[in-house]
Amino acid sequence: MIDPELATREVLWNIRHAWIMYALLVPTVAVSGYGFYRRLKLWRRGGSENRFDRPLARIGLLVKFGLLQLRTWRKLYPGSFHAMIFWGFVILFIATTVVMIDYDFGIPIMRGRFYLYFQSLIVDVFGALAIVGVGMAAARRWIARPKQLVYTNEASAILVVIFAILVTGFLVEGWRIAATDDPWGSWSPVGSAVAAVSSNFMSTDSMIAAHRVTWWTHLVLVFGFIAWAPYTKMAHVLTSTANIYTARLAPIGATLRKIDFEKSEKLGINSLAGFTWKDLLDFDACTECGRCTAVCPANRVGKALSPRDVILDLQRLMHEPNRDFAEPFIGATPALSPEPFWECTTCGACVEACPVSIEQMPKIVDARRFLVMEDAEFPETMQQALTSLETRGHPLRGTTFSRVDWAQGLNITTMAEAKDAEVLLWVGCGGALVERNQKVVRSIAQLLEKAGVKFAILGREEKCTGDPARRIGNEFLFETLAQENIATLDRYKVKKIVTSCPHCFNTFANEYPQFGGRYEVFHHSEYLAALVAEGRLSADMPTDKKVTFHDPCYLGRHNGVYDAPRQLVQISTSSTPIEMEQSRENGFCCGGGGGMSFIDEPPNQRVNQERARQVLETDADIVAVGCPFCMTMLEDGINARKGDRDTKVMDVAELLWQAVERTAPP
Amino acid sequence: MSDVVCCLFSSAGWDRSAQGILGAGRRLSDSLGGKLVALAIGPANDALNGAAAAIADKVLVVDHPLVAEYHPETYLSALAAVCKPIQPAAVLLGNDTYGQELTPRLAHRLGGSAAGDAVAVLAADGKLRVTRGVYGGKATALIALARAPGVVWVRARALDPAAADGRPGGAIEKVDLQLEPDARVQVISRHVEAKEGVRLEEARLIVSGGRGLGGPEPFQQLQALATVMGAQMAASRAACDAGWVPPSWQVGQTGKKVAPELYMAIAISGASQHIMGIADSKVICAINRDPDAPIFKHCRFGLVEDYQKVVGPLRDKLSRPT
Amino acid sequence: MNTIVCIKQILDPEIPARDFRIDAANREAERGGANLVTNIFCENALETALQFREAHGGKITALSCGPDGAEDVLRKALALKADEAALVVNEAAKNPDPLFVARALAAGIRKLGEFDLVLVGREAGDWGAGQTGGLLAEELGVPCVSFAESLEPGSKPGTVRIKRQTDSGWELLESTTPVVVTITNHEKNVPRIPKTRDVMQSFRKPLAKWPLAELAIDPSAAHAYYDVAELFIPRKETQCEFIAGDTLEQKIDAFASRVTEVMRSI
Repeated sequence: MIDPELATREVLWNIRHAWIMYALLVPTVAVSGYGFYRRLKLWRRGGSENRFDRPLARIGLLVKFGLLQLRTWRKLYPGSFHAMIFWGFVILFIATTVVMIDYDFGIPIMRGRFYLYFQSLIVDVFGALAIVGVGMAAARRWIARPKQLVYTNEASAILVVIFAILVTGFLVEGWRIAATDDPWGSWSPVGSAVAAVSSNFMSTDSMIAAHRVTWWTHLVLVFGFIAWAPYTKMAHVLTSTANIYTARLAPIGATLRKIDFEKSEKLGINSLAGFTWKDLLDFDACTECGRCTAVCPANRVGKALSPRDVILDLQRLMHEPNRDFAEPFIGATPALSPEPFWECTTCGACVEACPVSIEQMPKIVDARRFLVMEDAEFPETMQQALTSLETRGHPLRGTTFSRVDWAQGLNITTMAEAKDAEVLLWVGCGGALVERNQKVVRSIAQLLEKAGVKFAILGREEKCTGDPARRIGNEFLFETLAQENIATLDRYKVKKIVTSCPHCFNTFANEYPQFGGRYEVFHHSEYLAALVAEGRLSADMPTDKKVTFHDPCYLGRHNGVYDAPRQLVQISTSSTPIEMEQSRENGFCCGGGGGMSFIDEPPNQRVNQERARQVLETDADIVAVGCPFCMTMLEDGINARKGDRDTKVMDVAELLWQAVERTAPP
Repeated sequence: MSDVVCCLFSSAGWDRSAQGILGAGRRLSDSLGGKLVALAIGPANDALNGAAAAIADKVLVVDHPLVAEYHPETYLSALAAVCKPIQPAAVLLGNDTYGQELTPRLAHRLGGSAAGDAVAVLAADGKLRVTRGVYGGKATALIALARAPGVVWVRARALDPAAADGRPGGAIEKVDLQLEPDARVQVISRHVEAKEGVRLEEARLIVSGGRGLGGPEPFQQLQALATVMGAQMAASRAACDAGWVPPSWQVGQTGKKVAPELYMAIAISGASQHIMGIADSKVICAINRDPDAPIFKHCRFGLVEDYQKVVGPLRDKLSRPT
Repeated sequence: MNTIVCIKQILDPEIPARDFRIDAANREAERGGANLVTNIFCENALETALQFREAHGGKITALSCGPDGAEDVLRKALALKADEAALVVNEAAKNPDPLFVARALAAGIRKLGEFDLVLVGREAGDWGAGQTGGLLAEELGVPCVSFAESLEPGSKPGTVRIKRQTDSGWELLESTTPVVVTITNHEKNVPRIPKTRDVMQSFRKPLAKWPLAELAIDPSAAHAYYDVAELFIPRKETQCEFIAGDTLEQKIDAFASRVTEVMRSI
């Protein structure tokens, strides 16, 4: 038995004229480098944006979404084959680096137990996994053929080349083991299997000859792949890594950029010239995986919007030879036409789903900004909502209510009257001006009162936070409203705000700080859950109804608040809520965000009906919501679909009020 | 200075509008203690003149080649020329487009004051007081006209005709006017037809159907009712979604926002998004089987019945002249 | 053509009915928290002018008479690309009568100089008097055509062809200029919305302001034509009257007569 400490193998065994390899390395690196340089040059044409702050947090992103592939794993099948190929190649790359250090730099590290455990066993296993991964990918691409994928010859060729690289690698290893009768061969299980099989029908000489030919073939494949990759979607190995490192650190709810109206030559974006380098990097980082489009609620119900195609078409335009970046992209392709831009609910599912941190939704809002502010061309009912917002401070044209009607008989003070209010209850337009939601706000107000919270409202001084204006694309109107509201809040020295609407919540939490308005802000579910936890409210009469919870996009995905509303459901029903097929990060929009509440969707393409279907499938008696828009959209959808069933939509605050007071909501 | 002139268009004949104007004029002149003059302009219409003479103290017939057809400038000149020597306290016109167009200008030419859309005209201290809706019908104003004559267009069909009180008929006089043709405005053509592009938003009467109709066929019955009423057709979102009627008919938050004088909701339950589209209607009425339908909360009056039993007979009733 | 579009600032007509209050002392609607807006028919008039200019060239001047704050509606007109704007500033006379306004506007128009077309809305969404156009024509001594939905150049230079709505259909008229035309709303003159860039720039455009005194107008004459003697909110039947009757026919009869009553009142 030879001492395992001496275990190693001869590098470049059986290879003559190895200098050719080094010689080939030069053009390979040059071609590959040029490929990346070409992209880099394109990104540098974008506007400036700081994405290099907080390096530690960014390294954290790389670990989570790069190394550990946390987002990719969310879909098990593609997640697992991607991980096998990714980790396979990471290990193989390390192994090659080890060889280089050992042979070229003369540092003897490819020795002993490290050689046996890592360089032989682990590398072999991961190489084998990579082959399995490629097989799974091939099966998906050529047999299962899901709709979300992009089917190109390039993508197929990449799979074939990767497969060939892996197979030739194992053949070379196997024939070397057999021909040299490598005493450590059994540490390479795949290699030794190749050796064993080959020995049955090949002489040592023919194995040596085949080894040499295959070695060079392998080399050419690998070098060729390295040179070719930056010109294909395989560039994502670097572009996606860069994109993950430079990803947004703030929650999705904070992704929309402020516009400098004094300096901007153009409001919103209609040409590549309007994007920042990070946006352009986004286009190049796309791996065509299609997850964004698969989760897009508009796309799910059959609309034309496809965030994947928005990104890919922009990518294609960016790479068009001699592309004039000032040339408009809106209307250049079907995916970049105005119509799909007006189907986006800004739910953020695309952004959340993207394994490589591309920000699709903000680009749609950028295009909307252009269409609204520079072209003044957008759906008429959205125009009416914005006109109402401008003249009346709320988007709900035709409402028969004033801001204070809901509070009748409740003895609620306004900030102007209150002396010692600690908390501002921000009612919101949806809460005050839509009859159904008035019951929700009444529940919240009475719960606060019962818990002894000193709160007040702004009453008639309240105005829309501007969320619909910002999402529809009228940033100018949004900024005006933001400044007016911040002035009002400053006048009353407001510090703590409870909102009944996740959209208002998001605006206060993530957007008003851009304009100098900083508040401690809670969605009512968070605040009420805390009151229960503190023992200031007790739910003595929980209902025995089955309840499911619908995550509002602007509470959940945009701000990461998933648990507080569920706690309220749990408290009010003494059981955990039933989860729908899509919930939490993966929640499905009600269809009402992004100004879509003000658009009449075609009857067979309603997002709210698809969500209603998911609700009804749980067989719950009640679907709990935490947003006035969700309330309207889900009630509408459920009424259209429920048939004989008696499924109700209730806000978590109404559930809690029932459990606290054992009465129907006020 | 206490006479009242009622301007009537001969071409329109003795219609409900003419009756309402003369009725209002009669009551006003009686209260002023003056004479009532009916001014019939246009090609002489004996039926009109005769009927007017039964109510007015005098009928002045302005029949001149230049007023054979309506022309804004010559009609204005003619009316001003006839009214001026009478020195009336009031001049009343109807609420047709021509009457509305002429009223302020006639007041200006006569040195008087004008008001329009009157539902009542009274005299107090020698001055006219006109009651009219303002602020889109949310308020009612009493307008005191400072100058005489008060030139007023009235909601003629809403005003009661004069009671037959057996007073002697007035004389019918033909007025001889020296009119100059107007060189400035020329009427190129007139078209009598359904208004092109009248939008639902401007309709004064609307008949609207909802989910409760159950299919496209009942909309034909509603259409027949609407035709008799001179109303526009509309529908709720549910009915449009179902494809029973075109999407352009849809009224509601994501459809059209209407503000008719009368909105008749048939088999519409009244979801809040629908109410948002009709909240500005002056009068909402509904026909619905369900007495608890939310639409009734917004109605001036309602009928709890199956629409199938009501729409046909209602059409027959409304098709009879009143 | 030189077009002057007269624009009125009014209280938002879409105040929910339950929020509508009356300022008894001034006999007008209480402003409350509501905004002031451009009268819709004035927007239709401006839109008609903009379309005419796009097709046939010319210049548009927006003119208003009102308190200093009425500048807002003129800024909006500038944002929609009116070439110039002028305000006859009336801070003195509250809620002036139509003749006063017509005279103030006529004085403003004379100060502006030559004009071919004066477009006004058919009526305003607050008082709805519908007199400004007619009185303005008389003050200026020019013809007037009301309820127009669109304009085009006439058959000869110095004329304009006007399509206007009538009770039974529509008419085509041709008038020499100058002429006053009152505009009604139509699907073809739905007001456009301004581009944000133009809104921003509208604040930097010059805007002439002429106090009444500068135009030799006596504010004490603001109610010499008429005055609002009373203003009140009519009692609304909030409860639905459910039509009753012994037989179906009686009920339909009663329903029909209620409908007839409403139709007759129009």
